[in-house]
Amino acid sequence: MNQERVFKVLLGPHQTEKAAILGEKYNQIAFKVAQDATKPEIKEAVEQLLNVKVEGVRVLNVKGKTKRTMRGIGRRKGFRKAYISLAEGQEIDFAGAE
Amino acid sequence: MQVSVETTSGLERRLTIQIPAELVDTAVDSRLKETARQVRIDGFRPGKVPMKVVKSRYGVSVRQEVASELMRNHFVEAVTQEKLNPAGTPSIEPKSVVEGQPLEFVAVFEVYPEVALNSLEGESIERPQAEVTDADVLELIEELRKQRMSWSTVERAAALEDQVNIDFEGFIDGEAFEGGKGERYDLVLGSNSFIPGFEDQLVGTQAGDEKDVEVTFPEQYQAEQLAGKAAVFKVKVNAVKARELPELNEEFFTIFGVQEGGETAFREEVRKNMERELQKAVKNRVKESVLDRLLAKNPIEVPKALVDGEVDVLRRQAVQQFNFGQEFDPAQLPAELFADQAKKRVQLGLLIAEVVASSELKADKETVRALVEEQAQAYQEPEKVVEYYYQDENLLRQVEAAALEEQVVETLLQQLEVTDKNMSYKEVMQPKEEADEAEDQQEVDA
Repeated sequence: MNQERVFKVLLGPHQTEKAAILGEKYNQIAFKVAQDATKPEIKEAVEQLLNVKVEGVRVLNVKGKTKRTMRGIGRRKGFRKAYISLAEGQEIDFAGAE
Repeated sequence: MQVSVETTSGLERRLTIQIPAELVDTAVDSRLKETARQVRIDGFRPGKVPMKVVKSRYGVSVRQEVASELMRNHFVEAVTQEKLNPAGTPSIEPKSVVEGQPLEFVAVFEVYPEVALNSLEGESIERPQAEVTDADVLELIEELRKQRMSWSTVERAAALEDQVNIDFEGFIDGEAFEGGKGERYDLVLGSNSFIPGFEDQLVGTQAGDEKDVEVTFPEQYQAEQLAGKAAVFKVKVNAVKARELPELNEEFFTIFGVQEGGETAFREEVRKNMERELQKAVKNRVKESVLDRLLAKNPIEVPKALVDGEVDVLRRQAVQQFNFGQEFDPAQLPAELFADQAKKRVQLGLLIAEVVASSELKADKETVRALVEEQAQAYQEPEKVVEYYYQDENLLRQVEAAALEEQVVETLLQQLEVTDKNMSYKEVMQPKEEADEAEDQQEVDA
């Protein structure tokens, strides 16, 4: 994977209650990733950019909600989410990151 | 808490204070818990935000906030502990705001000077003694008449002190110039409101006369292109008016609030007013010289912060006094203008406070009452004014302060030797600085 791609894969941390609990319990972090990102790509990007050792990656697509308005039915944008298990002893501090 | 005091210069003190780490950290933690309950962060239900997230997001700012609060509190505590008396606001500078380390900060401020009063024993002052004489009264009445004077047209040649109504047009080398024209202008001869020489040449003219007045503009004239030039003014005199002083009659007396009793009552009223003024002036003089002595005997160093504050007050007063208007920023006036006066006032304030404290003075009810009544005397219905004063707490407090000041002066007077000095009414009424200047002038002349 080339260097340019590394910077395009990760879109930002996904901070929610669920992600916080998983982080506490299983040392996992959640990321929003590019729609076409693959597990190996994500693994490599996280390892390079955040300087941690990645154990495994699980990905899923979150569908946007359908919203009904006067003008008919619309759909919000969905995104691709990745749960990343970190190797034991690894940690990420998202201070100030969104 | 560790405190160390350094004296940097004169009245300036430097406090270095250390607050133990646990104290800061527990304070920060409890503050964070509080914020955790209140903040809303996307992705979390309110109140369910984990500590870790809150800390990563708000940790730094909360710590800063807590630190500044702790610094303020501990500063006060340290000051009491070290028995210091700070003047003005301190400048507090944190040295380290890091988790797990003791919080250390430096506070620089000034302290009030220790005032040890030197007795005024042996010093002496002069108390002016003056009476209102009949001549003084007459003079004042004359003055009042002049204030109410009117002009009446007369059929005679104009003399000095008369007012002439003129049309004029000025020419330089036969050409009219800008601003050299006027119509129906009232000019008082001898008032020196025109170019020197202009008014003199109009003396002797009559209504209807036309005259060419030849003058030379002074070298230092505000319009540069005119300065030093010779000019001819074609002047037409429309009317000559003489001063007319109002008659001393009922009408005139009523203007000044004397409705019955004619001239005798009027004189009485004027005299009463003058006597009141005189008393006030004498009192002020005595007070001034007492305070001057006090100041001279007790040179003290004053904190800069207080002087600066006083300078601001004076600036604002000056702005008000000279009607600079709302938009004028008092800070534009140079501080040096007021520095000396401000310093003097601060010194006096400190000294008076010390006198009050050392002789345990309290505003005396009777003095207050007397002062209020004195103020009320100048109004139409004294009783109402007195009532008004006693209802308004702020006003009353002002009067109390004045009463206290008076008592201070009295206390100090007892230590002083007072010599009476005969002076005329006028001398007393003249403001002090002017009197001094006049004296200086005389010395120069001699």
